[in-house]
Amino acid sequence: MPDSLVSPLHNYHTSQNAKFIDFAGWSMPFSYEGTIKEHNYVREDKGFFDVSHMGRLEIQYNDIAILQTLICSDIENLQVGKALYSIFTNNNGCAIDDVIFWKFQDKILLICNAANTLKIKEHLITYSISFNDVTNSTALIAIQGPNAIEIMEGLVDIPDSFSCLQNDQYTYARTGYTGEDGLEIMVSLDYVDELLDYLKSNNISPCGLGSRDTLRLEASLPLYGFELSDEITPVEAGLKWTITNKQPYLGSEVITEQLKNGPHKILKKFEIDTRAIARTGTKVSAGESGGVVTSGNFSPRLQKSIGFVMFENQPSTDLIVFDIRGKLVEGKILKKRFLN
Amino acid sequence: MSEIKYLETHEWYSLTENKITIGISDYAQGELGDIVFVTLPEVGQEFSKGESMVEVEATKTVAEAYAPMDCVIVEINDRLESEPEVINTDPCGDGWMVKAEVVNLDDSGMLYQEYETFIS
Repeated sequence: MPDSLVSPLHNYHTSQNAKFIDFAGWSMPFSYEGTIKEHNYVREDKGFFDVSHMGRLEIQYNDIAILQTLICSDIENLQVGKALYSIFTNNNGCAIDDVIFWKFQDKILLICNAANTLKIKEHLITYSISFNDVTNSTALIAIQGPNAIEIMEGLVDIPDSFSCLQNDQYTYARTGYTGEDGLEIMVSLDYVDELLDYLKSNNISPCGLGSRDTLRLEASLPLYGFELSDEITPVEAGLKWTITNKQPYLGSEVITEQLKNGPHKILKKFEIDTRAIARTGTKVSAGESGGVVTSGNFSPRLQKSIGFVMFENQPSTDLIVFDIRGKLVEGKILKKRFLN
Repeated sequence: MSEIKYLETHEWYSLTENKITIGISDYAQGELGDIVFVTLPEVGQEFSKGESMVEVEATKTVAEAYAPMDCVIVEINDRLESEPEVINTDPCGDGWMVKAEVVNLDDSGMLYQEYETFIS
């Protein structure tokens, strides 16, 4: 096996006794003090994540019209200075990747899932979109939590929610993947230590990918490879709100058809009133409808088991039965978000 | 209580007369991370050596604890139902899982020093 890639903050993680996990060819911190502790730092106060494994591509602004034909959201009419969550679709309307764009005057920064960086680069090349891959020349750090912004005010001007800014040192946006307020900051290797020192001096605790996963699940956010894949459309994944592109784009006819009437598989949120975790792959039935759990874990905030299940079709009942390693466990479909 | 011994599958047991207390090792709880749910057997249930007795759910993954020898459950640690995190904080003490009566004695577990070499 080839050596894993490591983040520019790797030595810091080692000094903090991080437990590492191999993720998409990268060795990244899974936890430092424990997943639940780190989860609670972010829900109740603040914490920071090193997400330097995520792909970062600077797209030439001039290529925005081509980009518009590859994603399900309207990036052309998005104001400069805004961030956009969207999905690259294939010919079948299914997800090649879900990504974040930060739209600047001179460029569009694309942040993609680490496992999909190569795929996205090849896709952009196929459609003659020019980009500069800055993944290895920068770090990406997410500072998240109800008290994150007031600390970061001491370092940078704070943008509005879902907006982005840049200065000589930092390119950043008020975005995240935890359901909490905060910033995601891209920084060149020259200034990584300065940013890290600032976080340390303000007692912002490092949090690993373990808590990033429990936080995103509790915040009802999908993860590519689980709730989304190249066999799942944004409609099926419950992401209709991302479909704002009125022009034709790859697979748009499939998506439009699904939006109109077509029967399709459908992602639902569930909760179980115990701590028995229904993990990825657990088989589920709800009346006549069958499904499979895409992600499931213990919610530290709700103190119960939660997750997503992909049903073959719209279930007629909210009561569901999980087959957890041969044991039948009851749960229910949730219409609202896990956290209010 | 006799000395704690360890298995390659990361359980520990301590043997007193004909009774054993069983849990998982400090190394095992560290690898699992936050433990959030434990499925314990019932008193009176019989297990053969190597059979799965307990299911341990952590945020990261699920693991099983296996019977170190043929035995019958005589007591379970009820506290784990509401406070499974005790296994993280005190795996070889308050985080014990079950007590069982030995049916076929097999005291072949590793002493700590040997186990330490095994896990390193």
